[in-house]
Amino acid sequence: MYEIVSSVRRDYIADLAREGKRIDARTLNQFREVSVEVGPIKSAQGSALVKVGKTQVIAGIKVEHAEPFPDKPDNGMLIVNAELLPLASPTFEPGRPNENAIELARVVDRGIRESNAIDLDKLVIKSGEDVWAVFIDIYVLDHDGNLIDASALAAIAALLNAKPLEDEAWTLPEFPIQKRPVTVTVAKINNKLIIDPCLDEEGVMDARISIATIEDGSICAMQKGGIGYFLREELEQAYEMARAEGAELRAKLG
Amino acid sequence: MKKPEKLIVNGERLDGRAPDELRPLKIEAGILERADGSAYVELGANKVLAAVYGPREMHPRHRQQPDTAVLRCRYNMAPFSVDERKRPGPDRRSVEISKVTREALESVLFLELYPRSVIDVFIEVLQADAGTRTAGINAAAVALADAGVPMRDMVSSVAVGKIDDTIVLDLTKDEDQWGTTDMPIAMVPRKKLITLLQMDGHFTKEEFEQALDLAFKACEQIYGMQRQALREKYAIKQEE
Amino acid sequence: MLYIQNRELVVPGQLIAEGGYNVREGAYREGKQVYASVVGLADLRGQDIRIIPLQGRYIPKPGDVVIGVVVDSYYSGWILDMNSPYMGNLFVSDLLRRKVDLVREDISQYLGMGDVVVANVKDVDERMRVQLEAGEPGMGRVKGGKLVEVSPAKVPRVIGRKGSMLNTLQDVGECRLRVGQNGRIMIWGKNPRMINAVVEALLMIEREAHISGLTDRVHLMLEKIKSEGGE
Repeated sequence: MYEIVSSVRRDYIADLAREGKRIDARTLNQFREVSVEVGPIKSAQGSALVKVGKTQVIAGIKVEHAEPFPDKPDNGMLIVNAELLPLASPTFEPGRPNENAIELARVVDRGIRESNAIDLDKLVIKSGEDVWAVFIDIYVLDHDGNLIDASALAAIAALLNAKPLEDEAWTLPEFPIQKRPVTVTVAKINNKLIIDPCLDEEGVMDARISIATIEDGSICAMQKGGIGYFLREELEQAYEMARAEGAELRAKLG
Repeated sequence: MKKPEKLIVNGERLDGRAPDELRPLKIEAGILERADGSAYVELGANKVLAAVYGPREMHPRHRQQPDTAVLRCRYNMAPFSVDERKRPGPDRRSVEISKVTREALESVLFLELYPRSVIDVFIEVLQADAGTRTAGINAAAVALADAGVPMRDMVSSVAVGKIDDTIVLDLTKDEDQWGTTDMPIAMVPRKKLITLLQMDGHFTKEEFEQALDLAFKACEQIYGMQRQALREKYAIKQEE
Repeated sequence: MLYIQNRELVVPGQLIAEGGYNVREGAYREGKQVYASVVGLADLRGQDIRIIPLQGRYIPKPGDVVIGVVVDSYYSGWILDMNSPYMGNLFVSDLLRRKVDLVREDISQYLGMGDVVVANVKDVDERMRVQLEAGEPGMGRVKGGKLVEVSPAKVPRVIGRKGSMLNTLQDVGECRLRVGQNGRIMIWGKNPRMINAVVEALLMIEREAHISGLTDRVHLMLEKIKSEGGE
């Protein structure tokens, strides 16, 4: 039934896109206002509260002893979990993570993992027996669209905020972070590409592409979503947008 | 941290408070965009969010009540809110707290105005240091008012307990762990109706009465701050 | 005996008055005392005490004009979403204002899924089952225009004192508006740029309802957009 109501809204947003305008008066390649607050959660090893417009996400880091995977005896572990809390949206329900929550966690995971943001080689206590497991818990508090970029930014900001563990097995002087991946999502509405879709725009977008880049502008992870398609030129344009905006967002990490 | 020999030295607790002193309390109304109503509460090192959705259509339909709205509460802790990472999802403790929270809040709501609907209260503990259920109830009451749900009054909540044979207000995690008694209470402040009471430990008759005295006094203070938080959000502002 | 002033902000549980007042919405009586049950502004008129809520979902009551969206149909009518916890029922006879032979007439020619309907709340029973009627002139299916949703508690601000805000929106915005008590608003106009300007003005009213001088700001904003000209 909410789909039907939004059909009127759909026309409005699509009409605006044709004129190169957006519902919240942004330009097509204008990100919403972003704020990054590091360390709000003292019970976490590291934490960050990220706001992208009215979207709010907290990421918290926990580090624990773990037995390594048999095929990776000399690697620490990275576990990313995302919760679409029912307090964040009328459409989120309590219960086990659904496909959207799992996709969100996996997209954030890939950005961190494939960029080697964490030096997992250093997180070994005893080969094959005892390693550090780094848990990144993504907590979505208020959903006004583009959870992927907000969550990915919160995750890397929380990692950069992470302090050495107070545990006799921890020997590193600091938390081993070596890269700063940042994810930027570009949505397609009415054949126009827009950066950082808000919730209303997500409701009418044909497709989205999320691109994680590192400091040198190269790509470390991507995810296309939505039932629509991208043309090759559109992907190239989206990458340029993500690269440029990625540098801006990375600057907010301090 | 090892247990100190004494939890109260010269009338001062580990964090410097007097026995009848509340931790620093901050209450903010309406901090979430999507929720119909919301509130954020900091009580010492506790950080708790509450959101309200509703009254809204009840699904599944067979759970609709023909003559009243249904109140549902979910208390949940973030994995990073405690020292050892908490596995996501409900456990026995959070299910019980959700139940007693609902029972603490339900009687102040005019649920009969909204037959067949549901009102959802979601409480999320972001950082925990004992007393999270009381902070959650304080936040939830403000969030319900912020959502425009008609209520007879607020619900205010605090814990009292016993450490070093002294009755104290609003225990921290260390005090809870090493003390002998913990008693969370919630009440409808104006008429002093107690809507939540749990207790574990040991109280004599006199100690119990003394603990109730402390709780009543503290709830009065919290009640004032809850109302102030709502006033701050809704006061007509002069143009800047 | 009154304990507050007219238009004063009150919170749930606050003592408002004592004595034989008529207690309306947003307040309740306990013995001689009258208390507020919602966050809102006190509206004191003679012996009547009412609290105008500043938040909350739309709850239908007889006589309200609402804007609904058809979400389902049955053999003799339709079910309308009203941006409320409750759905509205519209019998075909309450749309056409005549007896309808359901065997002979196919009612789907009158309303379909997704149609927007201006309706009057005819009756609400104790279980909050809602009957609508839409036979009066200016009611029934909406043609063209744009649909906007604001918080139902902000509807009085959209209308303004003696309709002042609504007049500003229509006159300066060069549009015609139909405001539903349920927070849904239809906008019709010739110039799409001005329609969008009115939509922006409505969002501004919703956002800044608690800041004084709102009508003037809306007026200025619409004038500015109008002076820029164009389609």
